[in-house]
Amino acid sequence: MDLRFFEIYRSSEYLGLLGQGVATSAGLTIAGGVIGFTLGILLAVTRFERIKVLGLVAAGYVDFIRNTPLVVQMFFVAFGLPTLLCYQWPFWAHALLALSLNFSAYFSEIIWAGLKSVDPNQSEAANALGLPRYVVLWRVLLPQAMGKMFPSLSAQFIFLFLTTGIISEISVKDLTYAGVFIDSRTFRSFEVFLTLTVLYILVSLLFKTALAKLEQVSMHWKFVR
Amino acid sequence: MKDILVTLLGKPEGIILFQLIEASQFTIYLSLIAFTGGAIFGGILTLLRILPNKASQRGATAFVWLFQSTPLLMLLFLTGLGAPRFLGLDIRPWTAAVISLTLHSSAFMADVWRGALESVPTGQWEAARAVGLSFFRSVQKVIMPQALRAALAPTVSFMVQIIKGTSLAYIIGFHDLMAIGKRWANATVAGSEPFIIFPIMALIYFTLCYPLTLWSRHLERRLGTSPKTLIVTTA
Repeated sequence: MDLRFFEIYRSSEYLGLLGQGVATSAGLTIAGGVIGFTLGILLAVTRFERIKVLGLVAAGYVDFIRNTPLVVQMFFVAFGLPTLLCYQWPFWAHALLALSLNFSAYFSEIIWAGLKSVDPNQSEAANALGLPRYVVLWRVLLPQAMGKMFPSLSAQFIFLFLTTGIISEISVKDLTYAGVFIDSRTFRSFEVFLTLTVLYILVSLLFKTALAKLEQVSMHWKFVR
Repeated sequence: MKDILVTLLGKPEGIILFQLIEASQFTIYLSLIAFTGGAIFGGILTLLRILPNKASQRGATAFVWLFQSTPLLMLLFLTGLGAPRFLGLDIRPWTAAVISLTLHSSAFMADVWRGALESVPTGQWEAARAVGLSFFRSVQKVIMPQALRAALAPTVSFMVQIIKGTSLAYIIGFHDLMAIGKRWANATVAGSEPFIIFPIMALIYFTLCYPLTLWSRHLERRLGTSPKTLIVTTA
C-alpha cells in the first residue's frame, strides 16, 4: 500500500525512456494529424462537391473508419497489409499510416459539417464574381468552415492523441510502450501508469496551448474587432 | 449455428467465424454495462453540475475534465494492473474493464448532457422558478423534457464510442471479440491470416456500430441537435 515513485525517478534509464516516449507519441500524433488533416480536407471537399462516385466512396470510407475501432484498423495496417502486399516497413511507419487514415476520417467529418454550415450566399456571391470553383472552395468556403470548426478540430485532435497509446501494441516505442517496459522491470504498475497519465495530460495541455496559438496566428481575422 | 457455419465454410474458417461471433457477445455485454454505468454516473455528474452549489459544480467539472483527459488505455492499466498490485486485491479483467469504461463514459456523457441542458434557453429556467416551482420540480417538469430531445441523438452516437472503447479491454486480459480475433491472427492456421481476420473483425464491429450511427442521424434529423452539443468522438 505504499507509493514508491522514486523507483521510477531515480533511474536515468527510465527517465530517458519516458522522455523518448513523449517525443515519439507527440511526434507521431502531430505527423498523423497533419497528414490526416490534409486527407480530411480532400475527403470533405469530395463529399461536399458530390463528385460522382468519389463522393460516395469518401462518405463510405469516413463512415467505415468512424464505426470501427482504431486497434483493428491498426492491426490490419501493420500485419494484414504487409503480408498481403509483401512489403516491410519499420513499426513507426505502420503506426503513422494507421493514425493518418484514422485521423483523416474524424477530421473530414468535422470539416464537412463546417463546409455545410457556411451560408450558401457566400458560394453564390463568389460564383457571381466569376471565380473558378477551386478558388471558391479554397479562398471562400474552406477558410470560413475552418474558422467555425477550429475549436472542434482542436478538441478532436486532443482526443485522438489520447487514443494513440495503442500503437505500443505494434512495438512502436511510444509513451505507453515506455510505461509497459518500466512496469515489467519494476512491478510498480500503479505508480508507472499514474506517471504516464500525468504525462499524457501534460502533453495534451501543451497541444491545447499550441493550437490556441495557431488559431490566433492563422485565423487572425477572428480576433479583430 | 456452429455446424451450419462449418458446413458452409469448411473446417477452420467456419470455426473461426463462429468463435468470433461467439466472442462478440462479451463485447456487447461489456458495452451495455458500461453504457448503463456511464449513464447513471453521467446523470449524477450532470445533476451535480447544475445544482445551485459552487462546490458540487466545481467537483463535478473537475471529475469530468480528469476522466476526459485520461486515456482509456491508462484507465484500463491503472484498474487492471495498477490497482491490484497497489491494493493487493484480486481484480478480475471483467471488473477492471467495467470500472474503467464506466468512468470514461460517464465523463463524456455528463458533457453531452450538459450541452443539452445548456441548449434550453435561460428564460425557461427563470419562468419555471417564477411560477414557483422548486429547483427539482423545474428540472423535472420544464428543463428535462426539452433537454432530452437535444440529448438523445448525441447519446446514441456516444454508444458507438463505448463499443469501440471495449476493443481496448483485451489488453488487460478481457476475452472479447478483439482478444479472440487477435489470437486467431497470431495462429499459423490457413484461413486465419491477419489480412482475413482483421477485416472480418472490422466488419463485425461495423455491424454493431453502424446501426447506432444511422439511428442517431435519424434522431438528429427528427429532433434536431443543439449547436452547443459537443462533437465528441474517440477512436
